[in-house]
Amino acid sequence: MNYTEILSPKFEPETTGTTIMAVIYDGGLIIGADSRTSSGQFVADRCADKIDYVHDRIFCLRSGSAADTQTIAKYVRYYVDAHAQELGRLPAVATAANLFRNFLYEYKDSLSAAIIVAGWDPYKGPQIFTLPLGGSVIEQKWSIGGSGSTFIWGFCDANYKENMTLQEARAFVLHAVAHAMYRDGSSGGIIRLLNVTKDKIEREFIDYKDVPVK
Amino acid sequence: MIFNSEISGQQEHTTSPVVTGGSVIALVYNGGVLVGTDTLCSYGSMATFKNVQKIAQISKNTIYVSSGEFSDFQQVVRELAKIDRSALQYDDGVHPSPKDYGNYLARLSYKKRCKINPLYLQNVIAGFDNDKYLALVDIYGTYLESKFITTGFASYFCKAIISNYWNENCSLDQAKQVIRECFKVLFCRDCRAHDVIQLAYVDAQGTHIEEPERVETKWDFNGFKYRANEKLHTQ
Repeated sequence: MNYTEILSPKFEPETTGTTIMAVIYDGGLIIGADSRTSSGQFVADRCADKIDYVHDRIFCLRSGSAADTQTIAKYVRYYVDAHAQELGRLPAVATAANLFRNFLYEYKDSLSAAIIVAGWDPYKGPQIFTLPLGGSVIEQKWSIGGSGSTFIWGFCDANYKENMTLQEARAFVLHAVAHAMYRDGSSGGIIRLLNVTKDKIEREFIDYKDVPVK
Repeated sequence: MIFNSEISGQQEHTTSPVVTGGSVIALVYNGGVLVGTDTLCSYGSMATFKNVQKIAQISKNTIYVSSGEFSDFQQVVRELAKIDRSALQYDDGVHPSPKDYGNYLARLSYKKRCKINPLYLQNVIAGFDNDKYLALVDIYGTYLESKFITTGFASYFCKAIISNYWNENCSLDQAKQVIRECFKVLFCRDCRAHDVIQLAYVDAQGTHIEEPERVETKWDFNGFKYRANEKLHTQ
């Protein structure tokens, strides 16, 4: 193996060229993501899980460099775990978002990471925090991210409504992610959905054959 | 230690912004200081975040707004909050004045400028402490007190409007109208502007941040509606 090749700038780092999405509905939130991890033009992982566990009711969606986001998520998971142990109750989603924000802001020139933090807490209910490249934190009712998101801004602006039901929100996320995967070369594979509510977490696996837009 | 890149050894040098906030306009009026921003944060050319509050209340009588990199704006809000908290430790009832915040921000900006790692912001501090206070701190740490301030594109388009329709002894409503006119012009001529704006003012009673409002712009001029190219090329 020629190591100089790997270290040369021609070697494409593994990224989560991706489509990620989170939407708050009346009673919880739905998270959706595609499953393609690309290394340049090569699909390194065709069935990845981009919905990362941070805490029992807090998840993060990662886009950008896979190495950067995985490492940061690992640190934040550890910090939130320690914090929750001391606190003795569920941590606030804003706490996790803030911990991510500290990394993304302090190391903004070294990192290529944009993250959506989504979860439920007993203090403010379902919340979504978008953390784009520079390290700002913006709270939203719905958020899309990753390279595939560029293709579905119009779709999402047209179809988003406030206070959707679970079924409406699930259909919205499913179709939006499917449309993005349809046109974005860096997104593809299967769709993973996650429903976060006060009482439970429900994961859903949408097989390739069931993706609504192909 | 890990959350401070200087100490952990990974000194960063930020010279290009990612998520940016648009122009800011601030005017002194007879009872205090009025500031206005729009509610948009852009991601390059994309109008990504459309409902952002970019006006921060730093203390009972001080407001901070800025244009430029939004994450740096959020960072400055934290830094300024630290000043008030550490002043509490003296337990003498003395709170930092608006000018203290302005001065601190100027020193902080200059320090970062010297390390070629600036806070990518044009900062405006507005306050009322026995008298009106309005200051601009730019990306290099230059500190300028003034009766009116514009940042970004507003510096090109709005100074003429302000010169003609505002004076420092006007009423609050007059000052609000001037700022609304300025944002109408900006919405027409600045690609990175939005027509939903937010106003806030500080007076002797304290700070008041208003709800966002949409400015009315006129597009149905005859000259606009009837400027058909076919007339140009067939007559």
